[in-house]
Amino acid sequence: MKIIYFAWIKDITNFPEELLDPNEIKNLDSLKKYIVSKYPDLKKHLDQEILRFAVNQEYIIENIDLKKNDEIAVFPPVSGG
Amino acid sequence: MIKIQKEDFNSDEEIHNIKKIHSNVGAVNSFIGYVRDNNNNENVQSINIEVYKDMAYRQLEKIINEANIKWKLIDCLIIHRYGKLKVNNKIVLVTCFSEHRKDSFESCNYIMDYLKKDAPFWKKEFYNNKSEWLSNSK
Repeated sequence: MKIIYFAWIKDITNFPEELLDPNEIKNLDSLKKYIVSKYPDLKKHLDQEILRFAVNQEYIIENIDLKKNDEIAVFPPVSGG
Repeated sequence: MIKIQKEDFNSDEEIHNIKKIHSNVGAVNSFIGYVRDNNNNENVQSINIEVYKDMAYRQLEKIINEANIKWKLIDCLIIHRYGKLKVNNKIVLVTCFSEHRKDSFESCNYIMDYLKKDAPFWKKEFYNNKSEWLSNSK
C-alpha cells in the first residue's frame, strides 16, 4: 500500500510518499501508530486531531481495514479557494 | 466541468463556452478568488498552492452533485489553479448556470463553502522574509 503526505506534513516526513507492508499495517489505527513512531513530530498533530486521513481519495475518520492496493493520504486542514 | 490547472484562465471565455451550449440558461453567477497582497498583517509576495489532484476532482464532483440535489442547476464550472501564483493572480473560479437567479446565487455560495472545507488544496504564503502554510479552519 502507498502512503502519501501533503503540505507541511511532508516537511516532517521528508518524503512525499512511501510504500508500506500491508502485512504489518492492517487498519488505519495501526497506520497512525506507524507514522507517529517513525515521525515523532507528527504525534502532537495527531493528538490535536489536526491530521486528516483519506483512503482512496475519500476522507476517513473511523478505523477501517486497509488493503494492499490502498492509497492512503495524510494531510493538514485544507486551505484552497 | 472541473478543471485543476497551473495555467491562468480567461473567465469570460470559460463562462461563454458553457453558456453557449445551454440556451435555457437565464442566470449565471460566478465567484472568482484572487491572491491578495496582505494577510495576517503580512505583505504577501506570492503563494504556492499544492493539490492532491485525484482527490480534488473526486471531492469537487461530490460537491457539485450535492448542489445539484439542492438546487436546479443546468451546468457548473469550477477552475482551481495550483503552483506558484503572484499577487492579483486568479486562484479559483466557480460559476453556476441555472434558469433563475436564486439557484445560481445560492449554489455558487454553497460550492465555495464546501470547496474551502473539503477540497484538498493547500496554500503556502511567501512574505518578505518568511513563508507560512495556511489553514481554512483558522
